[in-house]
Amino acid sequence: MRWSLSLLLFGFLAVVHALSSSGNRLLVVLEDAAEKDSFSKFWSDLEARGYDLVFESPKSDKLSLFEHGEKAYDHVLLLPPRSKGFGPSLSPKNIIEFMNKDGNVLLALSGKSTTPSAVSSLLLELDFHLSSDRSSIVVDHFNYDTLSATEKHDVLLLQQPGQLRQDTKSFFGGSGVLAFPRASPHTLGGSNPLLTPILRAPTTAYSYNPKEDAASVEDVVATGSQLAVVSAMQARNSARFTLLGSVESLQDAWFDATIKAPGDGKETETANREFAKQLTAWTFKETGVLKVGKIEHHLAQDGDLASVELNPKIYRIKNETVFSIEVSEYNYDQYVPFEVPENDALQLEFTMLSPFHRLDLQPSGKTENSTIYSAKFTVPDQHGIFSFRVNYKRPFLTNIEEKHEVTVRHYAHNEYPRSWKITGGWVWIAGLWSVVGGFLAFVVVWLYSAPTSAAPTTKKTQ
Amino acid sequence: MADTPVDALLKGNTGRNTRGLLRIIILTTIAAAAVSSRLFSVIRFESIIHEFDPWFNFRATKYLVQNGFESFWDWFDDRTWHPLGRVTGGTLYPGLMVTSGVIYHILRFLTIPVDIRNICVLLAPACSGLTAFAMYLLTCEMSFSPSAGLLAAAFMGITPGYISRSVAGSYDNEAIAIFLLVFTFFLWIKAVKNGSIMWGALTALFYGYMVSAWGGYVFITNLIPLHVFVLLCMGRYSTRLYISYTTWYALGTLASMQIPFVGFLPIRNSDHMAALGVFGLIQLVAFAEFVRSFIPGKQFQRLLTAMVIVVFGIAFVGLVVLTVSGVIAPWSGRFYSLWDTGYAKIHIPIIASVSEHQPTAWPAFFFDLNLLIWLFPAGVYMCFRDLKDEHVFVIIYAVLASYFAGVMVRLMLTLTPIVCVAAALALSSILDTYVFASRGPNPKIKASEDASTEALRSTRNPDVGISSYISKAVVTSSVVIYLLMFVAHCTWVTSNAYSSPSVVLASRMPDGSQFIIDDYREAYYWLRQNTPDNAKIMSWWDYGYQIGGMADRPTLVDNNTWNNTHIATVGKAMSSREEVSYPILRQHDVDYVLVVFGGLLGYSGDDINKFLWMVRIAEGIWPDEVKERDYFTARGEYRVDDEATPAMRNSLMYKMSYHNFNSLFQMGQAVDRVRGSRLPAEGPQLSTLEEAFTSENWIIRIYKVKDLDNLGRDHSNAAAFERGHKRKRATKRRGPRVLRTE
Repeated sequence: MRWSLSLLLFGFLAVVHALSSSGNRLLVVLEDAAEKDSFSKFWSDLEARGYDLVFESPKSDKLSLFEHGEKAYDHVLLLPPRSKGFGPSLSPKNIIEFMNKDGNVLLALSGKSTTPSAVSSLLLELDFHLSSDRSSIVVDHFNYDTLSATEKHDVLLLQQPGQLRQDTKSFFGGSGVLAFPRASPHTLGGSNPLLTPILRAPTTAYSYNPKEDAASVEDVVATGSQLAVVSAMQARNSARFTLLGSVESLQDAWFDATIKAPGDGKETETANREFAKQLTAWTFKETGVLKVGKIEHHLAQDGDLASVELNPKIYRIKNETVFSIEVSEYNYDQYVPFEVPENDALQLEFTMLSPFHRLDLQPSGKTENSTIYSAKFTVPDQHGIFSFRVNYKRPFLTNIEEKHEVTVRHYAHNEYPRSWKITGGWVWIAGLWSVVGGFLAFVVVWLYSAPTSAAPTTKKTQ
Repeated sequence: MADTPVDALLKGNTGRNTRGLLRIIILTTIAAAAVSSRLFSVIRFESIIHEFDPWFNFRATKYLVQNGFESFWDWFDDRTWHPLGRVTGGTLYPGLMVTSGVIYHILRFLTIPVDIRNICVLLAPACSGLTAFAMYLLTCEMSFSPSAGLLAAAFMGITPGYISRSVAGSYDNEAIAIFLLVFTFFLWIKAVKNGSIMWGALTALFYGYMVSAWGGYVFITNLIPLHVFVLLCMGRYSTRLYISYTTWYALGTLASMQIPFVGFLPIRNSDHMAALGVFGLIQLVAFAEFVRSFIPGKQFQRLLTAMVIVVFGIAFVGLVVLTVSGVIAPWSGRFYSLWDTGYAKIHIPIIASVSEHQPTAWPAFFFDLNLLIWLFPAGVYMCFRDLKDEHVFVIIYAVLASYFAGVMVRLMLTLTPIVCVAAALALSSILDTYVFASRGPNPKIKASEDASTEALRSTRNPDVGISSYISKAVVTSSVVIYLLMFVAHCTWVTSNAYSSPSVVLASRMPDGSQFIIDDYREAYYWLRQNTPDNAKIMSWWDYGYQIGGMADRPTLVDNNTWNNTHIATVGKAMSSREEVSYPILRQHDVDYVLVVFGGLLGYSGDDINKFLWMVRIAEGIWPDEVKERDYFTARGEYRVDDEATPAMRNSLMYKMSYHNFNSLFQMGQAVDRVRGSRLPAEGPQLSTLEEAFTSENWIIRIYKVKDLDNLGRDHSNAAAFERGHKRKRATKRRGPRVLRTE
């Protein structure tokens, strides 16, 4: 009763607000309360999408990411700190712990101030690398806003990213131009496969520390598209971490600023507001969230499926088997049927130590909010403990890692064809029965032809 | 001498009945003694299954009782040899389990509900009572003296050589197999003596039962043909022999082929070829005899003999050709190791690593057989004196079994029955000679009687010689003393050496009280109660059956060492660095790793001491990656202290054994009591595993395999971060930058 009531309530909320798939408690860590107003449009956008915003100063005593060992918020938005770091309650260890408990983090940096070393070490742990002085900004002499940064060229203009890879969905698409004032750049290390850049700097950009003299320009850390402005990491438990290089791009001032690119560019409005929405929606799991529904596997059978045992624990070698999986995708406010991107495939592996089958799952049906993918195959001629595995890990989509163990047994002694069904065996069977019959005949003949022995003796006496 | 009331009971018809009754009572008493001397462990500890293999048999029996015979026959066991599984129904000898299952159901039918565990625990002692009876029957066939049979039964009942495998709780195949072995031999002797098809068929029946119960049936398969072959060579062919052998071979082979594990081995395997060859030979000989009875010509006989030899030779060559071409499987490795004791160590380390496959030390013979071992040659000699067919059998058996017992400790078990027979023959002949030797007609006296009735008094009543009371008294009392000492020895050995369940260890406190070390069960029950039902446990194969039986969790390898590669994989995971082991553990879905560590208590049978076998077995498969030499110091020592080699110190086994061991001691004072060495001041660091459980005396340590790091770091970095180390800045890296391509 209670359960259905809460479901009903939940459905109501979903209608009223868009809501993240993983909760709406959002902690905003903001050091200077005065700054809060400059982001007012951003906050109101978030609140309009159903988030409960809690503003805390990093220095606050009662600030804690955890309560009774569970996470106290679902998402954290970290604005760049002024002082040495975020303080003890937001130490790198705590933030990583928060992510290990499925919390999502959006960290915004600013090129205006030096990034604290605590933040830098957190980023290093995730394999994001800042420049060694931690106060560089991206400068580009070809893609800057001619209206606001005529001299310094430090307001970077970028096209909204399209599809980032052939086999992914585009969650940040659009045709607008984004402005990133005083963006702090980062590079991505080579050792963490979970990182994905969202926005890279143009090839003409370079990283520059305005506080040092011009000589340092000769020795840049990274240039061009090695520099990333916005990047994302999705942990194995699908917790999301997004690094945004420029916190100013979220300010009201830049949400509807007019910009003009150098050359013969026209004056246009920025698409920052839309991008901020896309970025927060992705980070706080409103988009790109996959959910696995029912998983079924059973013996292939024509006609009536009611008599088939669902999800048996044991199969026999060479059985025909059908596997199906329901996948749905969360799209801002509801689950919709998931469509695999065009150049990609959802695959099923039938594995024991190594895959014996790796098959593309084909969409075989649709429910209201999920697609059913299925595949039919023959169990290999090898007994053992196999598992059905669906391992679908793509950038920007939450991970699907399903593993269902089944036993594949050998033929039982009564599952082989009987001897008389094998035509090649008829010769032997005939031989066998002829010997048996011959022996019996011999015994009969022997038994009933015995008493002649008396006759010769009587003859002799005669 | 006047008739005493006792005489009335011992003479005539009544006497026969009385002796029969007495014999039954004695046999029953012997059986009771045999059973009760095997109950030490039940009384001292509890009714518990012992050691390793019995745990599997117990588990299989439970499966049989729960699921019925049909599904037992087709049992695919998915809880061992993960992820390969084992076709258990087709790869075991079902005799033992089926026997217990039948007993269980009979008792249930009689409305006596007995727990299947108790049946399993007590099956071996019960069978030993039957063995004593079978031994009585067998020995009675060898000798006219009734005391020989009773003595043999008593010997068989309590000799430690047999008790070692049949104490209560030792629920192993040998428990019923020895009874079947002795009884099959009795039936065989009976068949040869009587030349009857019935006895031959009975032999085949029990041979079939034996095949279903123990792999040692090959001993019978080869011994009976050898007996026949020797008899043929001695020119003792008879229709009795022909009838009994052909009956046994035809029916016995058919019976043995019904066991799935044996299947077509009797016609495809070299181990069984002797029986087939002798079967062919005896047909030839029979034919030759048949023809000879018609044609007495000497020339023809010679021709026949030549023909027999030629045909036999051709058959032998054919056999060799078939073996070389692979139609007939060559001798198995275990067989070669019987002839060359060094063979296993070089070619099959997994066989050599089992302690019961080691050559026997000579004191073991005395330990296990005591006075029987020196009566044994005398008994064999006495068989030579009246060399009948059955005595030939005893001699062949004695020679073969003594050789095998010398090669492998375990085969002491097959030697024991024949030692009992021979010793009983010798002892009964001594007793008969001295106890029953009447002073009846002395030939000397008889001769002198005619000459003069006034002979010397001393010759009339001789004080010396075997018929005097003194000599009788001396001999019988010394025999009795020997027998009493034998009983004392057997009881002592049984109580001290063979009654430990080895699952529970007992030791003495300084004040003499008993101290029970129950770490094994503590750890196994921890696994049972704290891990998911299908958590895969990796351990060295010794503990596979126990984990399966007591913890009821799937294991990677167990004591049924059928897949050397899989065992080598575990060996490699144990002996490699963490970075190498972790992918292996992940690939095999390992959730927990279990190691046995005796360093705290001084328990020497631990995994560090077995470690070299793991290395050797792994080296057999991956000679490039694991090298035994790397685990020895430059001076060739096997060390675990400061001077341990890097390979040793970085191996997963070392790390798991000594993880946190330092924390038990003061700084730098950690001492391993098994190896007697002081450990390095800084203990090993584990990053891919975390400690899950350590038993009270640290004998069993269980580690949980960590999942992949959530943030995509490698485990050593993640562990360093947990410890509070900051990662080094990437800019300090040397060499060209690695660009991400996507």
